[in-house]
Amino acid sequence: MGEDADARKINHGFLRDHGYVTEADVISTVEFNHTGELLATGDKGGRVVVFQREPESKNAPHSQGEYDVYSTFQSHEPEFDYLKSLEIEEKINKIKWLPQQNAAHSLLSTNDKTIKLWKITERDKRPEGYNLKDEEGKLKDLSTVTSLQVPVLKPMDLMVEVSPRRVFANGHTYHINSISVNSDCETYMSADDLRINLWHLAITDRSFNIVDIKPANMEDLTEVITASEFHPHHCNLFVYSSSKGSLRLCDMRAAALCDKHSKLFEEPEDPSNRSFFSEIISSVSDVKFSHSGRYMLTRDYLTVKVWDLNMEARPIETYQVHDYLRSKLCSLYENDCIFDKFECAWNGSDSVIMTGAYNNFFRMFDRNTKRDVTLEASRESSKPRAVLKPRRVCVGGKRRRDDISVDSLDFTRKILHTAWHPAENIIAIAATNNLYIFQDKVNSEMH
Amino acid sequence: MEFKLEAHRIVSISLGKIYNSRVQRGGIKLHKNLLVSLVLRSARQVYLSDPCPGLYLAGPSELAAGSPAGWGEPPAPAAAAGLETEPRPELSAAPDALRAGDAELATTVTCARDTLQGGEVAAGGAGDPAGGSDVFPEGPREARRYRGCPPGVEDQQGTPGASPPGDRSAEDGPPAPAPLCPRKRPAAGAGGWGRPAPGLTPVKKPRWDPEGPPSRAEEGEEEEMETGNVANLISIFGSSFSGLLRKSPRGGGEEAEGDERGPEAAEPGQIFCDKGVLRDMNPWSTAIEAF
Repeated sequence: MGEDADARKINHGFLRDHGYVTEADVISTVEFNHTGELLATGDKGGRVVVFQREPESKNAPHSQGEYDVYSTFQSHEPEFDYLKSLEIEEKINKIKWLPQQNAAHSLLSTNDKTIKLWKITERDKRPEGYNLKDEEGKLKDLSTVTSLQVPVLKPMDLMVEVSPRRVFANGHTYHINSISVNSDCETYMSADDLRINLWHLAITDRSFNIVDIKPANMEDLTEVITASEFHPHHCNLFVYSSSKGSLRLCDMRAAALCDKHSKLFEEPEDPSNRSFFSEIISSVSDVKFSHSGRYMLTRDYLTVKVWDLNMEARPIETYQVHDYLRSKLCSLYENDCIFDKFECAWNGSDSVIMTGAYNNFFRMFDRNTKRDVTLEASRESSKPRAVLKPRRVCVGGKRRRDDISVDSLDFTRKILHTAWHPAENIIAIAATNNLYIFQDKVNSEMH
Repeated sequence: MEFKLEAHRIVSISLGKIYNSRVQRGGIKLHKNLLVSLVLRSARQVYLSDPCPGLYLAGPSELAAGSPAGWGEPPAPAAAAGLETEPRPELSAAPDALRAGDAELATTVTCARDTLQGGEVAAGGAGDPAGGSDVFPEGPREARRYRGCPPGVEDQQGTPGASPPGDRSAEDGPPAPAPLCPRKRPAAGAGGWGRPAPGLTPVKKPRWDPEGPPSRAEEGEEEEMETGNVANLISIFGSSFSGLLRKSPRGGGEEAEGDERGPEAAEPGQIFCDKGVLRDMNPWSTAIEAF
């Protein structure tokens, strides 16, 4: 696919780089909250780090707010299932923010088995002037109390407190791959390989099973659920994707158990592309509704596809992410890269879609102009305030100066998790241990 | 011929992945293992096919699936229906030779599936997923030996032609009187016996042109080649499957019922404890049911 990059359009500045170094620090999920003010990351060690965007400085009106660490907490610990003699990884698979309803922020974080609701609150005042207690909290000697005073709230250094408000455990036999908060702000769903459960945010001791694709005989198993999401506006609709490359839209009004889909989105396989690995590369790794709710975005190993909810027969748009890997599927199977699950994202206006690739490359596709670009998230090429240079992968033939050849791609550096600010052109890219946040420059007339 | 070599290589790689998945942290990943088993099945079908991959429309599994009612299997999926008409005349001809010849790779695929299902419990049940050798009794039919064998995988992969220590079991394999593709347990459906191995049940089938199945003679030759090449695979996974094959249909029927109850009762994480069934089933199958 042609990669004519308009340099003016790509005025992204590199802003933040977190240098973690251990396996436990590999970022496993990235998510903006609904306003974009907060950005949460989860890692393999079970930790959640929340970043907050600083308000724009009056002194430098052209520099937009940067993201700084707001809170860090240990969400999940490794567990051991004694009955099955299995270790349960503490890796955070997904984080989803709840819509903000008061001064506190809440998010759901999940590992393979347990979902937790965390409440993040700020404390910037504390009461002073107690009658019976002194500053350290020790009881005063009553004989020294000669007058009464009313305790007053005095400002203090901002303290961010995080507390687990709910723990939704024991709902899943298989590994949870996704969670999604409903637009009704009361319920959410969690999906594992074979089942999807509906929870109420306030009730932890039970959930409703709404999808169950486990066959009566496990040896008949042919497909698993790979991702699921609620519709952004219709609280009765949700979609789930399968390892066979199909999407099923389900309506909870139709039946209590939504095994029967309302719509099935499936593209017939191209017989000329058939190989040993056709099934693997057609497995959908991520599905995202557009902000409008009209479209869905799916990612499989080599492509991203845009589907119109009104058309089930095939996607309306297909973009090749790294088609040059098609001839290398056997090697990628050997080194397990073919099982990598890339995520995808919409921008706020649903006009641009983004997904990650190898060599710390990530790709953006403009749906209107049909132009696309490949960018790299790396320390070497991204100094603060630098403009990202478009990259190109050459597949033989003419090679330009800065091209990378397919054979020199680094498959250990992959961008699986990306997120786009809900309204602005700010993107968060997780490259193994590092988090990159790119922002568009203020000169918006350049788009 | 290159297809065969590549297919064989992919089979080896896939088996290695399935083995490794049993010892990895966090338990067996169902999705990945399913995908690996699909690749394994595709590679196996190419492996068993003619040098011209397009000619051999369907592996023996499809033939078996189309076989007469003695198998008692629910009708093969619609995709197979078109293929069934062709293979059927061949069926009476050489079902046994086919099935025996296919037995080895079927074993492999079956156990791949089994690992898929039961690995979680199995890995735990042995207490030591990587080398459960301390647990296993010597009984040759004990399915639990299956757990002990995978450590051999890593040795075997590098020496596909070598004569592995488990050669004895490899020799046991082909002559085993098992008329069916080996299965861990008989079918849940009516008739007990009659299910082809899961890896062979085609639900999503490769798209081979139906140009007609090869002749019996070719199949006979195929069978001999296959035996030699996959002997090491059999030794890896042991001959324990024949023990499972010998389960009575009645036991299978009970098991089927247990199957219905078991997995439901088994969530989240309990093991069903119908004592009568437990007595009849070997512990390995119990573990599978619980998962």
